[in-house]
Amino acid sequence: MKLRFRITKDKEIRFISHLEYLRTIGRAFRRARLPVAYSQGFNPHMKFSLASALGVGVVSQAEYVELELTEPVVPAKAAEAFAKALPRGIRVLDYDAADDHARALMAAAGGAGYRVTVPCAGSVEQAEAAVAQFNAAPELFFEKAAPKAKKKVKRIDVKQYIHRLAVGTAEITGEAARDAKARGETALVFTFDIRITPGGSMKAVDLLNTLREAYGLDLAVVRADIERVSLYRVGPDGTHLPLLDNKAVCR
Amino acid sequence: MKKELTIDMLAAVKRPDRYTGGEFGSIVKKDAEVRMALAFPDVYEVGMSYLGFKILYHLVNKMDGIAAERVYAPWVDMEKLMRERGVVLTTLETKQALSELDAVGFTLQYELSYTNILNMLDLGGVTVRKAERRDDEPLVLVGGPCVFNPEPLADFIDLALIGDGEEALPEVLEALRQWKEEGRPGGRKGFLHRAQQIPGIYVPEFYEPEYNGDGTLARMKVTDPAAPACVEKRVVADLNKVDFPTAPVVPFGEIVHDRIMLEMFRGCSRGCRFCHAGMVYRPVRERRPEVLREVAHRQVDNTGYDEISLVSLSTADYSCLPCFLDTMIADFRSRDVSVSLPSLRIDAFSVDIAKKVQVVRKSGLTFAPEAGSQRMRDIINKGVTEEDLMNAVSGAFENGWSKVKLYFMIGLPGETDEDVLAIARLARKVQWKYKEITGHGGCQVTVSTASFVPKPYTAFQWVPQDTLDEIRRKQRLLIEALRVKNITFQYHDSQTSIMEGVFARGDRRLGKALYLAWKAGESFDGWGDQFRYDRWQQALQEAGVDPDFYNHRLRGETERFPWEHLQPGVSRAFLAREYARAKEQMLTKDCRQGKCNGCGVCQKLGVPVVDYSGHAYDASAEPKFVPAAERTASVRKALRAAAAAAGYDLLAPAVAQVAAATAYKAAGTPAAEGVAE
Repeated sequence: MKLRFRITKDKEIRFISHLEYLRTIGRAFRRARLPVAYSQGFNPHMKFSLASALGVGVVSQAEYVELELTEPVVPAKAAEAFAKALPRGIRVLDYDAADDHARALMAAAGGAGYRVTVPCAGSVEQAEAAVAQFNAAPELFFEKAAPKAKKKVKRIDVKQYIHRLAVGTAEITGEAARDAKARGETALVFTFDIRITPGGSMKAVDLLNTLREAYGLDLAVVRADIERVSLYRVGPDGTHLPLLDNKAVCR
Repeated sequence: MKKELTIDMLAAVKRPDRYTGGEFGSIVKKDAEVRMALAFPDVYEVGMSYLGFKILYHLVNKMDGIAAERVYAPWVDMEKLMRERGVVLTTLETKQALSELDAVGFTLQYELSYTNILNMLDLGGVTVRKAERRDDEPLVLVGGPCVFNPEPLADFIDLALIGDGEEALPEVLEALRQWKEEGRPGGRKGFLHRAQQIPGIYVPEFYEPEYNGDGTLARMKVTDPAAPACVEKRVVADLNKVDFPTAPVVPFGEIVHDRIMLEMFRGCSRGCRFCHAGMVYRPVRERRPEVLREVAHRQVDNTGYDEISLVSLSTADYSCLPCFLDTMIADFRSRDVSVSLPSLRIDAFSVDIAKKVQVVRKSGLTFAPEAGSQRMRDIINKGVTEEDLMNAVSGAFENGWSKVKLYFMIGLPGETDEDVLAIARLARKVQWKYKEITGHGGCQVTVSTASFVPKPYTAFQWVPQDTLDEIRRKQRLLIEALRVKNITFQYHDSQTSIMEGVFARGDRRLGKALYLAWKAGESFDGWGDQFRYDRWQQALQEAGVDPDFYNHRLRGETERFPWEHLQPGVSRAFLAREYARAKEQMLTKDCRQGKCNGCGVCQKLGVPVVDYSGHAYDASAEPKFVPAAERTASVRKALRAAAAAAGYDLLAPAVAQVAAATAYKAAGTPAAEGVAE
């Protein structure tokens, strides 16, 4: 039996690395005493995985974890135990169950929705113009340093992953507001979807870098507040379908 | 006041999880009448590994209306950003600046962390020098092992908690709550007057050192009529009776000791003459196996950790260890939790233990012969022979280990070059032993040497520390002698050892140098890459203090020491006797295996050694146990009578212990032998 949870990575723990997030979930399973299956071998590890890795610093409403169990459990009870065993900053939003042969969520995920709030020294009109240009462009290349090889650059077509984006404004709150005001910045809110393909995907932060480079938008990328709001399957006609599609068993 | 660590700051530093908190098991008390910080003067992953604060965090937060929060030293990358942007250091729980709290309590684990204390106060918005601190600023407390000589920090702290904190800290916080509730009568001074009435509390400003013409201490003048001439340490008589954490904070990221730490016992009676912990934590007090087992289960339930480390100063000396280990391993095997020991004693018994606990992974084994030659090992009272070591490594090699790490010290009193080179010879002999047993080479030996630093309240508190040149010369001798295949040689930085030596036996006059060094940019001195010897030299010079006075001078037999008004209970006569025996290379046996050696601790503190030997562990038949208060009271009474009858010296312990044993037998406890020995 497999259990699948939709969980969060809230603001307060946004800087926990992917590995640390995984460790935390693993320990929560142990605390919840769920009958998690272990791999065979010299260094056995728990059999669970996240549908899609999240960059450090990114907040998420849509982390999907699935785990293999050695014996059946009542999903509602398991979800309750798991929720109790999690630190503040990770909440259980939804769950379902599937049989062992169900397609892995990791393979099923086809796209993710994002909302990015980022201070910008330019005007809103400038941003809107850039967004219009972006939406109209057939292709848009971005070069980024390849993670491991130092001098190599990776060239990606951003439009292959992000078809459209929308922009609005928001109010900057908290201590940051004073600084932003002093700098004469407005907070832009970009909403968009990123495709996840078998060949890979791209990071939300690289969209911001692209907008800076391609259109000269003066975005304070290092202060961007990036949030993943959804993760979904993509139907044959392009519609977004929920990842947890087997909720009947939970009732 | 800016408190927020913004996204760009967190994105720019190493290990941002050091600063964000929110871990499972962390306790946020929104409303509290009294709020204190347990401040660890090093980075998160080091401080989070410290058992003492796990214990106090748990104990204080169990108190109604009183909150303990955590704060660690930001690493230099984050500190730089915080200073550039004027962001203040806050606690992890409620993100309050240190200046907004009622008290900030630092642990003194290591002399070279003192600059970090000053730095954290400053980053937290607290005035660094006590004389300039406003009355509404938090109280600054210290505790921990180095608190037995807190004098170099006297300019910066309000009070020190001497000894075990489990009972003393709640008492201080309760007094603080009371004082706050009453509207802070008398201001800070008013509280300090109250606090000093709590046993084990030392208020430095009520004492004033007077010095002789040669710079040595003439006397420690008590400037407050109510202050005691001497502050005796607090000691928890029965560790089974104080709460041990069952749900410690579980960090997100990896920390140094990333596992359950189960404290088996406190204290060590082996009597190694260089060892500070071995003297100041006396007497040995064990926890009952059934108590430990219960705590272990609850910790596994509450943390999800898969490893339990059985910690103490010398876990192999736990009286019920073999039985206890079997029980623990059996208990936890099905839950995929392993049991480990932090260190091994040098004997075949320990290798048998290692075999049990290292069922899965076979990493290297670590032994600490401390010195290379028998002569030196006798001087330091290590009580280990070369044969013991050879038996231990033989056992290890026969059981498949091929990696051994050996810990030594150089610069011990009376050491010759022969003794230094004996370290290299011993390492070679370990390799030969491997070849003899396995028929082939390839044994990896790591030799690690620390430089000996004389500490207060040890038999070597009188001796000069080796000079920088001498330490380096000895290190070079070993570098040459250990250019051998498959031997790795590691050694401590000599300059940091020198500064550690200055502060370990320092006095109040060092406060100025400490302040100047911090002002010049010193912090994280324990991290070799941050430590700058030249800045320290400069600071000491500007402060007008001569470091050699503190660490390169043979102290006089009758010289008064600036730490002697703070008492761990071990008598000066005993230490002097041990020093004399060291010069004669005479061994002193562990008092748990033979007669009382007259260190004076049990008598002075009225707390006996607690040892459960001879009682095989059986969880089903819990033995009767006499409440601590009752027991202590009866022992105290017996001791007083004995002391009166026999005069307070060597004879007294023997008489007193017989009396104590009688008291125990009368009470029907099974621990009589353990105490009577």
